[in-house]
Amino acid sequence: MTLVVEDLHAGYGRVPVLHGVSVSVARGDIAALIGPNGAGKSTLLRAATGMVRVSRGAVRMDGRDLTNAPIETIARAGIAHVPEGRRLFPGLSVRDNLRLGGWRARNEDMGTVLELFPRLHERLDQVAGSMSGGEQQMCAIARALMGRPDFLLIDELSLGLAPVIVEEIMARLGQVAAEGTGILLVEQDAGHALEVAQRAYVLENGRITVTGKAAELAADPRVRAAYLGV
Amino acid sequence: MTQFVQATLYGLLQGGLLALVAVGFSLVWGVMNVVNLAHGAFVLGGAYVALELHDALGLDPFVSMVPAAAVLFALGYLIQRYLVNLVVNAPIFITLILTFGLEMVLENLLRVWFTPDYQSIPTGYAQDSLRLPGDIRIPYGKLIAALLAVAVTVALVYFMRRTRTGLSILATGMDRGAARLMGVKARHVYALTFGIAAAMAGAAGAAEGAVRTFSPADARSFTLFSFVVAVLGGLGNMWGALYGGLVLGVVMSWGSQLLSGTMVNAVAFALLVVLLAVRPQGIAGKAFYASRVEV
Ligand SMILES: Nc1ncnc2c1ncn2[C@@H]1O[C@H](COP(=O)(O)OP(=O)(O)O)[C@@H](O)[C@H]1O
Ligand SMILES: [Mg+2]
Repeated sequence: MTLVVEDLHAGYGRVPVLHGVSVSVARGDIAALIGPNGAGKSTLLRAATGMVRVSRGAVRMDGRDLTNAPIETIARAGIAHVPEGRRLFPGLSVRDNLRLGGWRARNEDMGTVLELFPRLHERLDQVAGSMSGGEQQMCAIARALMGRPDFLLIDELSLGLAPVIVEEIMARLGQVAAEGTGILLVEQDAGHALEVAQRAYVLENGRITVTGKAAELAADPRVRAAYLGV
Repeated sequence: MTQFVQATLYGLLQGGLLALVAVGFSLVWGVMNVVNLAHGAFVLGGAYVALELHDALGLDPFVSMVPAAAVLFALGYLIQRYLVNLVVNAPIFITLILTFGLEMVLENLLRVWFTPDYQSIPTGYAQDSLRLPGDIRIPYGKLIAALLAVAVTVALVYFMRRTRTGLSILATGMDRGAARLMGVKARHVYALTFGIAAAMAGAAGAAEGAVRTFSPADARSFTLFSFVVAVLGGLGNMWGALYGGLVLGVVMSWGSQLLSGTMVNAVAFALLVVLLAVRPQGIAGKAFYASRVEV
């Protein structure tokens, strides 16, 4: 019942970015992956979901090997990726974005995700690209949840959003995890992520440098200095 | 005055049919970023399917729009899956060369199979005219062709917006990587898109066969018209193909009042040049695919 990334090496062309990264998330848990800009956080998510090639190491979900499987195969296996920049379909309505989220699972029932993010309810017929950043982020997460994934990987959820919005979304993610989805939160701004997560990893220069319980990391003076601005 | 009204009506009817000729070209360009120079050959393929079915079974060319669409769908799907898909990520120049080559092959195959001569598909009624007050005549053939073409084009728009398959095509056109993250199989979607585009071309070709004469050499004019309509309407914008078709139809019909027959292509081309200079986003001008992202 876990998503495991093991000794992962990946990069762009001949430029290596990740040098043997191991991360795992259990269903029902939230894990946080924090690290500075350029550390390779987005690359790790892309490698896990087939968007960049893995040169060594493995991606496994419940023992099933998904290393270098096509993007859509990994999505169909139940791993949802809210990518950097959200990648909504900006010219389509929120409703159509959600329909696409449920496309593979043939899930047309938006009730559950709209309960989670009631603001989207009034926005259903609005063009997704015209919403505020916070609403777009909610839409991106809701779209991912429409596929009823077992694992949800979110890249820089808090980027550019007001703290109250981030808190609102994080609280919802707690609910999502409680219902059995495993969540991997990738963040540069670590504060909120460490509050909701159980486990945490620090990624620096393509290597995991610190790992442990989220609460321990939040108390670690090195982590506090580097990622919590304390 | 009568002549002007007559020419405008003719233009609108012709334009309705042009919309169906071009809508697939625009779809493929918008969704796959492929300018399919073989599109006109697909249109002619539909016309020749209708001709064969008429000669063999006596089938009415408007009825043959259905089998023509089916044959061309299969052809389009296979060509995309096994040929165009190889270069879909290549620079546009490469895809232009490939589809240009494909156009030559298809056009010459048509020459070999059907001779380079002009053909027509006779019907009992297409030349008869509906008479309107003011001595205006509308040939039934052109009227039926335009109505069917507009109906099919509108149906395609609804298919794209309302159905699961249509939505996956739109999404893939906007952001292929994001669509794949939704579990959409982009390769299959591309082949389907190409197939649908060819099917539309085939249906349009069968209808063209009912209202005009045609020969393999017409493939290029159909491609040119499609290009102009697609740019007029905005790439990948299927309502736009309808406006674009009507505008091009009317302008060419007016042009043919003033200029000799072969100059009509020049009118289409001039319209394209003027439009690109003045309003490159097309008449409908909605930046539907503006946010294309590659994975
Ligand atoms: N598409 C790309 N092509 C080439 N290099 C890239 C690309 N995306 C990121 N990189 C490089 O990979 C490294 C890690 O980037 P990224 O994974 O985006 O880091 P993070 O998400 O932690 O900020 C950086 O040095 C970045 O310049
Ligand atoms: Mg990043």
